[in-house]
Amino acid sequence: MIPIPRTIKYESDLDHAFREKIMATQGCENIWSCIQCGLCSAACPISIYMDYTPRKIIAMTREGFREEVLSSRTLWLCASCYACEAYCPQNVNITEIMYALKRHAIEEKKYPRNFPIPELAKSFFTYVKAHGRNAEFWVVFRVWRKVALLRLVKMFPLGWRLLIRRRLPLRRERIRHTRQLKTILSNLNGEV
Amino acid sequence: MASKNGDIPRIGVYVCHCGTNIGGQVNVPEVVAFARTLPNVVVAREYKYMCSDPGQMLIKEDIQKLNINRVVVASCSPHLHEHTFRKATLEGGRNPFLFHMANIREHVSWVTQDPEKATEKAKAIVEAAVYRIQFHEPLESKHVPVHPDVLIVGGGIAGITAALTLADAGKTVYLIERESSIGGHMAKFDKTFPTLDCASCILTPKMTTVKDHPNIHLMTYAEVLEVDGYVGNFRVKVKKKPRYVIEDRCIGCYVCIEHCVYKTPKHPSEFDEGIGLRKPIYIPFPQAVPLVAVIDPETCIEFKSGRCPKKCQKACREIVGRDAIDFTQKEEILEIQVGAVIIATGFQIFDPSRIPEYGYGRYPNVYTSLEVERLVNASGPTGGAIVLRDGRKPQSVAIIHCVGSRDRNYNPWCSRVCCMYSLKLAHLVRERTGAEVYNCYIDMRTPGKGYEEFYEKLLHEGVHFIRGKVAEVTDWTINPEEAGKLVIRVEDSLIGVVRRIPVDMVILSVGLEPRSDAEELRRLFHISCSAEGWFLERHPKLAPVSTYTDGVYIAGACQGPKDIPDAVAQAGAAAGEVLSLVDRGVIELEPNIAVIDARRCSGCHVCIALCPFSAIAFHAEENVARINEALCKGCGVCVGACPSRAISQQLFKDEQILAEIEGLLMVD
Repeated sequence: MIPIPRTIKYESDLDHAFREKIMATQGCENIWSCIQCGLCSAACPISIYMDYTPRKIIAMTREGFREEVLSSRTLWLCASCYACEAYCPQNVNITEIMYALKRHAIEEKKYPRNFPIPELAKSFFTYVKAHGRNAEFWVVFRVWRKVALLRLVKMFPLGWRLLIRRRLPLRRERIRHTRQLKTILSNLNGEV
Repeated sequence: MASKNGDIPRIGVYVCHCGTNIGGQVNVPEVVAFARTLPNVVVAREYKYMCSDPGQMLIKEDIQKLNINRVVVASCSPHLHEHTFRKATLEGGRNPFLFHMANIREHVSWVTQDPEKATEKAKAIVEAAVYRIQFHEPLESKHVPVHPDVLIVGGGIAGITAALTLADAGKTVYLIERESSIGGHMAKFDKTFPTLDCASCILTPKMTTVKDHPNIHLMTYAEVLEVDGYVGNFRVKVKKKPRYVIEDRCIGCYVCIEHCVYKTPKHPSEFDEGIGLRKPIYIPFPQAVPLVAVIDPETCIEFKSGRCPKKCQKACREIVGRDAIDFTQKEEILEIQVGAVIIATGFQIFDPSRIPEYGYGRYPNVYTSLEVERLVNASGPTGGAIVLRDGRKPQSVAIIHCVGSRDRNYNPWCSRVCCMYSLKLAHLVRERTGAEVYNCYIDMRTPGKGYEEFYEKLLHEGVHFIRGKVAEVTDWTINPEEAGKLVIRVEDSLIGVVRRIPVDMVILSVGLEPRSDAEELRRLFHISCSAEGWFLERHPKLAPVSTYTDGVYIAGACQGPKDIPDAVAQAGAAAGEVLSLVDRGVIELEPNIAVIDARRCSGCHVCIALCPFSAIAFHAEENVARINEALCKGCGVCVGACPSRAISQQLFKDEQILAEIEGLLMVD
């Protein structure tokens, strides 16, 4: 027999401190204003592929559905086009909230696996934090090595052609004073 | 310290807890202990509710037993209980103006965070009152008669109801309406929720009663120009716009309209919200009151070129024999005298072209709800048939709720009536066309007698209810089922998916907003507006139709979004308030008038020119100015302007104000 999972939520399943954490992020204070009208979801060009619509993400964040929110594909499909924010009748900063959730998802390692976007974000951020510059080859290499090794092999001919035409530098550029950059980044909202 | 009139002040100070309103924030016992240390304070007490009978008894007993001759109550705003405590002081046997109120609720406990600092502030305010009251003198209130006539501004359902109530009570009523007919928005509706009774069947009998009532002076096509005076004695200037048709001669026979040089109507009718057409000479709707034609000079050829054969005038003269049309009519200014005013100017609808996503004005088949009201109305441009602009019958209709309402980008408030009228329109569309109707709402708000039952009825009629705010209306189609249609995009938030719904017709349930010229009217009548622009009532619960200007009352949707039953109820309440004022016949005015010390007056005339109420006259034989007590409003302009400091204002004398400031500054 196929096991039927329970869907009821008990208070002990939820993390009520989660919303406080998200609200503490600058720009996310007005998550309380949401009236659940769904305009964000209807305005979103990508909501048709999302597992939870943006409206649901807001409601679930407010009610402490931490696991579900952080492992949702929605966060990583958000293209930051700001359509939801422009339309929102309550001026909720939905895109900012999405960013805050993405950061938490990476921090808590809750992001969906085998999905390139969170890996790309992580990889990009790792290089920029360490060197102050994007290292295109290494960022792309890391993402595909983690997400789809076979894809990396298939991409070899393209990579080779880019390499010999000097369009894909292997060298990792650095800025001076990377320590200052690290201090700035680690002071952002006390997170990162 | 002896006061100016010789007696030694014996002050009683009473600090109110106001339940926890004050007591929860301010340390009341500490304030009382402090008050006892102040000069001339004989007794200081605290009480849970000073405004209650036992609270007032404290004042009366202390006056009698301890011979208190000055009373300070530290409690709420004078707006609420100054009258109560003045009365208690009087009943105790003292002149009521030997009382002063210190506001430690609105000025202290409600607006502070730190209890300690709040207590310090309360002490300062009490000390200021104690210092000030030493200089209070016994005063006499002035009494003025109230003019029994009443002015009502706005001839919608609220204005009509108030006018009829007052006129039936025998009062003379001036009813002023800006448009050429009374009836307001209600006259445009076909059916009214939730009973679906025909709007004109219940409204037009009232309109004709207004017309025929001997006590009502109806002035349509007229506006208030100027308001002067005060409660009981307003002088109002009214401008009657020229309608180029003599009202007494016109019988509303339509002959002039038939003979207009325009064979067919070409100009959008204002009454039909632009979806019907009219001629330059027109009667807005068949049940108009007064049933008199009006010429619009903007579109009439005679006014534009002066070369019109004037067939309308000829027809009126020769066929009807009335000669009612007069192209030379000029605007008239009338002056009327009234004792009270009811403002019932209603609302305007939100202009949905401000929301570009909904395509109003861009897509012909996107309508406002008011346009659809005219479509479904039997006297409307289509005779009640619901058809699209190209004449087709719609097979699917979307009704979008909360257009311009509950949206911080436009109007943040809920317009209260849209859910119910959207349900009504859904019912009418379904009944007359059989179309699929999609109601897209944020929350279904149906509080009211019989309203929830109406919602239930609609659920049974098979109307689709989609909980979600529509993001956009578009003609960009992506599959064959959408071809040639308008598509709405909305999240069905109860299911949690985004839907695209192709429809033939979109109805925007536009919200209600204050009239764009409400601000001008507010200034004319010296009343206040809330932040949103609605006229402000004196108290949201206990004085909902009074304003802060005595003698001026508000009724209907000019005070906030309201449906017909509520507007009618308010109109009745306003009429009741007016009757209570007018039938009293006399009102007592605050004696805060200015007085001129004749010994100091140099007769320079400065005050005379400045007085906004023309209350000051010059007496040549004594070479002094004198203030007419009945006309002075106590604005203080002359007091500040007098170069000889000969003018002082009762209750606001220099020594009183300086003592108050001194008291405020004593606490550090």
